Amino acid sequence: MEIEVQLTGSPIAEKISPPRLAAHGAWLEFRGAVRDEENGKKISGLEYEAYPEMAVREIRRIIESLAVTHPCLAAKVIHRVGLIPVGEAAIYVGIASRHRAEAIALLGEFMNHLKQGVPIWKRRALPIGARLSQPQHVETLKPAAAGASHTAALRSLDEVISEIQSRCQPLPGLHAPLAEVFGRVLRETVCAPGDLPPVDRSTRDGYAILNGDESENYQVVDTLHAAGWKPRQLKPGEAVRVATGASLPCENLRVVMQESVERTGNQIRIVRHESATNISLRGEDLRAGEPLLHGGTMLNAGALAILATAGHVNPLVSPRLRVLHFTTGDEIVPPDQTPKPGQIRDSNSVLIRGLLQNVPCDLRLAHLPEDFEQAKLLVSAFSLQPSAFDLLLVSGGASVGEKDFTHPLLEWLGFEIAFSQVNVRPGRPLILGVKDSRVAFGLPGNPLSHFVCFHFAVATALARMTGGAPPKFLRGRLADKLDDKPCPRETLWPAKLEISPDATVRLHPLAWANSGNVACLASANALVRVPANTGPVEQFAVVDFLPLTAMLGE
Amino acid sequence: MRILFFAQLKDVTGCDAVELSPPSPLNCEQLWTMLLEKFPGLRGHRGNVRLTRNWEYADADAQFTNTDEVALIPPVSGG
Repeated sequence: MEIEVQLTGSPIAEKISPPRLAAHGAWLEFRGAVRDEENGKKISGLEYEAYPEMAVREIRRIIESLAVTHPCLAAKVIHRVGLIPVGEAAIYVGIASRHRAEAIALLGEFMNHLKQGVPIWKRRALPIGARLSQPQHVETLKPAAAGASHTAALRSLDEVISEIQSRCQPLPGLHAPLAEVFGRVLRETVCAPGDLPPVDRSTRDGYAILNGDESENYQVVDTLHAAGWKPRQLKPGEAVRVATGASLPCENLRVVMQESVERTGNQIRIVRHESATNISLRGEDLRAGEPLLHGGTMLNAGALAILATAGHVNPLVSPRLRVLHFTTGDEIVPPDQTPKPGQIRDSNSVLIRGLLQNVPCDLRLAHLPEDFEQAKLLVSAFSLQPSAFDLLLVSGGASVGEKDFTHPLLEWLGFEIAFSQVNVRPGRPLILGVKDSRVAFGLPGNPLSHFVCFHFAVATALARMTGGAPPKFLRGRLADKLDDKPCPRETLWPAKLEISPDATVRLHPLAWANSGNVACLASANALVRVPANTGPVEQFAVVDFLPLTAMLGE
Repeated sequence: MRILFFAQLKDVTGCDAVELSPPSPLNCEQLWTMLLEKFPGLRGHRGNVRLTRNWEYADADAQFTNTDEVALIPPVSGG
């Protein structure tokens, strides 16, 4: 069952497409709108507040448990938070099921559960005619620090990466159950709690006898399956029937394969002699106390299996990151709308969702209006609690145009600006802000620059915050000529990395005319580093590159 | 441990979160004792407030440790 849950500070879209499932006969949609009165008084809007991490999990949990009795194929829930004017939807629920009755029943029960246990609140009602007043904790806008030369200086790529590494701190680890820690970074070294295997085990189906017992016939005195263990000291002339994986009854045995014996009743005779003992010895895989996994390991499926084997069911891991992504600019329209002249579709929201797919995080997306006061209102309703996010990404609005406001927005939120200019192409403008353990980036609005900055800057911060290994440049050979003109800025050139049949890395530089060119996004899986003022780089030249797949927490 | 306050409890405590570092894990009763000492105004809300531990409602026998994120959940009103 596919469940999608979103909390958003933006209006819920007018039209939401049903999931593409062949099996569903019913697609039921519900929108709950803000009424024009609350407790008998006329109002102009409601302000909602949520505990986002938990609300998302609770909604998901409720749907999963209700789907047991009302089978459901897919569900999508969007709850809006912040200020919502009368008439606009506070909640959207879409449910796909085979038949309408299941969807209708599930929806009714879901709404009841939501109103009982999901941590979302109507924080206050706005009386009719009231202006959307600012919450008390909103400070006035501070002017950008003038003449702060250390932040204005252009940073090289190496300086940017090392500055991010020194400014971002690992977030405190926490213990979480195994089912929830895939993709997170282990924050402790886990040792084997006992020998593995804990006793000698048979690696064959056969008969266990004393090692060195040369009897002509053996009496089968017991049968052991993989699951059972019955300790017993064997005597010469005795055999125990064992299955593969069975724990052997005592030490100093060997197992004769069943194909090598003749059995008559409870008697066996060895007809073919083998030299192998067919035993996996106690502690052969691991000795008690030996490290199984070291701190800093990204927990992939195999690592989780090891933790489960060791019974380490609540490992200390990096927290699930809370990420906020704001798009900005009045020229941005949702992707399902047709842009008017001068407008473009928002591709960065879905881009960032995809880029963060392998990072355990709760991502919230919102669009900020261009008017700074309006934007501040939305941000404050959305995110001013200190626990609201660990990482803030603001797309666009970071160059020096009149309407740009990422820099003042971050300062207004209390972030210290570490740098605001980088000498990297494509990548300008890039801003880093830090506030205690929280990190904010102002990222270029055009998708290619957004993509490149994510991979060298945001990924470095994510690795620091989770405690994983940072992105690392590797060396490879160009498969084709990289046709660049000398550029005063260091360049990260999108490329397609291929492993040739002889297992060497081949990099195909992709065509991109300028940072607004998005055609190469789909095939780029590496960034080739071209030093400043280089010009063209010949075919087969050895270059440094950043691989873009599976790089986080490796 | 990070303790979060929501909705009207923010007005009661005057903040939206507080960090506590108890020397050993706390059960519900001990956690409430610590909270009420710091925020006596919470006393009248205790009967209506549910505790969460790491984004799940906490059982009566829950133990709260320093790495936990705890929240006080007053009656909800979403939808």
